[in-house]
Amino acid sequence: MAKVYNWQIGREMDYPYEAARPRRQFAMVMDLNKCIACQTCTVACKTTWTAGRGQEYMYWNNVESKPYGFYPLGWDVRILERLGVQTMDGPVYRGKTLFDAAPEGERVLGYLPDDLDYAHPNIGEDDSAGDLAQGAFLQMPHMQWMYYLPRICNHCTYPACLGACPRQSVYKRPEDGIVLVDQQRCRGYRECVRGCPYKKTYFNPMTRVSEKCIGCYPAVENGRQTQCTVTCIGKIRLQGFVSVPDRLREDNPIDYIVHIARVARPLYPQFGLEPNVYYIPPVHVPPAYLAQMFGWDVERAIANYRRAREDKRLLGALLLFGATPEIIHHYRVEGNYTIGYDENNAEIVRVPLREPIFLRPAYDERHRSWRTNMT
Amino acid sequence: MAGRSFALVVAAAALAAAQAVAAQSELAAPRIAQPGPILDPGAAFWKTAKEVAVPMLAQTAVPPLHPKPAVKELRVRAVHNGQWLAFRLQWNDPTRDDTMLTDRFGDQVAVQLPIELKKDAMPSPMMGNPGGRVNILQWRAAFQRDLAEGEPEVRKLYPYAQVDVYPDQVLRATDARPYTGALGLDNPVSRPRASPVLDQMAEGWGTMTVKTEQEADGRGEWANGVWTVVITLPLATGTPNTPRLSPGASTIAAFAVWDGGSGEVGSRKAWSSWLPLRLAK
Repeated sequence: MAKVYNWQIGREMDYPYEAARPRRQFAMVMDLNKCIACQTCTVACKTTWTAGRGQEYMYWNNVESKPYGFYPLGWDVRILERLGVQTMDGPVYRGKTLFDAAPEGERVLGYLPDDLDYAHPNIGEDDSAGDLAQGAFLQMPHMQWMYYLPRICNHCTYPACLGACPRQSVYKRPEDGIVLVDQQRCRGYRECVRGCPYKKTYFNPMTRVSEKCIGCYPAVENGRQTQCTVTCIGKIRLQGFVSVPDRLREDNPIDYIVHIARVARPLYPQFGLEPNVYYIPPVHVPPAYLAQMFGWDVERAIANYRRAREDKRLLGALLLFGATPEIIHHYRVEGNYTIGYDENNAEIVRVPLREPIFLRPAYDERHRSWRTNMT
Repeated sequence: MAGRSFALVVAAAALAAAQAVAAQSELAAPRIAQPGPILDPGAAFWKTAKEVAVPMLAQTAVPPLHPKPAVKELRVRAVHNGQWLAFRLQWNDPTRDDTMLTDRFGDQVAVQLPIELKKDAMPSPMMGNPGGRVNILQWRAAFQRDLAEGEPEVRKLYPYAQVDVYPDQVLRATDARPYTGALGLDNPVSRPRASPVLDQMAEGWGTMTVKTEQEADGRGEWANGVWTVVITLPLATGTPNTPRLSPGASTIAAFAVWDGGSGEVGSRKAWSSWLPLRLAK
């Protein structure tokens, strides 16, 4: 085991290979306050990449309801149970990662799901955390709650799938950090399926090898955001690249959201994989649950998000979500506009921070009808 | 977690144990008259060859380790006919595992031969080593099933599967190919070519490579809780990465076996030490 630095847990940790950070790292931010589980992302991904034989129940992108939705069944509670109770209460995580907790003779703590665990992609959909008592009224955080969690491969800096593969069939691209399974080299051992705690590698029973989310690399190579991002009707996603904290660029919208405004958190950072999908936590959910899922800094993330209107640069970054199919490498807030630029500093999108307001009389003289403000 | 030094110590111990075992038994391959590839597991000529009980060892050298393999013993016989060498491998297995799903693995067995035997530098019995290349002939129950019953179909794996349309039903073959994953790239583990045996080479853990030329063949039968598998290879060929053997020659052979029903796959297997192998003149 080599010693590598994981900034999300603020310490060095064991990993089967030496650290080799890519030249830039594929990343995504998802605003969980905006997801309505319409599954447009899931369908876009499926029709683009997994329409083939043997991929029927394979969702590289899925949206599950929390706390009772899982795909595959129980994926997170099962690995959390195996890892045992850990404490994560500050920037330095002193508990065990999945590499620390690897059983004797294994590279990572994991488990192989049952085939039937993939048979219920919508289990727990819309189920709330509990029943509402008679006479209950809305409070914050909600006393009973649920939220939607869209998931893709996290293209981790320290992928467990890659670490677990005994024949190095899984690789992380130096040019963008996208993690891929070599379809010619893989022999279908399923060590990656067992090792990935997010269960985002899948066995294809028709090709008899493992497959996973490819980060839409043909799009990313051409400066375009992933299919799940550009098709999102709620504009909850922004895909681009994230830097490590000591090399952050303030004009990179993802760096600003993750490292400066600190409103987005990784999924289960305690696993130790340094996942690169960042979530803006749902503001209505009790922090105790969110802290288990997104780590120690989740309350600050919610507080900062609620003050977004006071931070023009944060507002500017958030308004770039879903504004263009192209990858935004730089952005700038200028007057009432946030402007996104591509890699060559060419302007690709311009979004007003505040939409113009039009006041109209309640009665429309021309059509002789009453206007309503229903939307 | 097994550190590198730990793994090496274990490997050395396993190797020492393996060599001790190897001295006790020898595989003698008598010559039979029947010409051509030797494929019949039930043929009478197998009685002319002495059966050797090969103890199968736990894989305790490289993670993921497999300290308790399901198969403890392989019963091995060898014969040759001047052109082809064959091994008949038998082991007890209560379940026939030839279907692959996420949580279901196939039974497999493999024979390993050094490509070039140097007496002073034997390749590692554990899939060879850099400079010590080995030829590994691996029989797969799933391939045997494919050859007998045809390509796997989704409706056979999942009887109630309902799918609107597949790309290959609406696109030309070349356009549908990207949707076929490893199959479209002719990954040799996806489907059997003409034989249930993969003819491969390796120079250590994680280096297994399917050879361009597939010369080995075989056949496996499961009955009453016992697998009987024959693996055969031509003795003299002009292709590289193939051991060159002839009547009267001596070499070494080793074996590995996987019980799919116990979740064995890849390095989660039982392996054997090198056994001396002598071909009758």
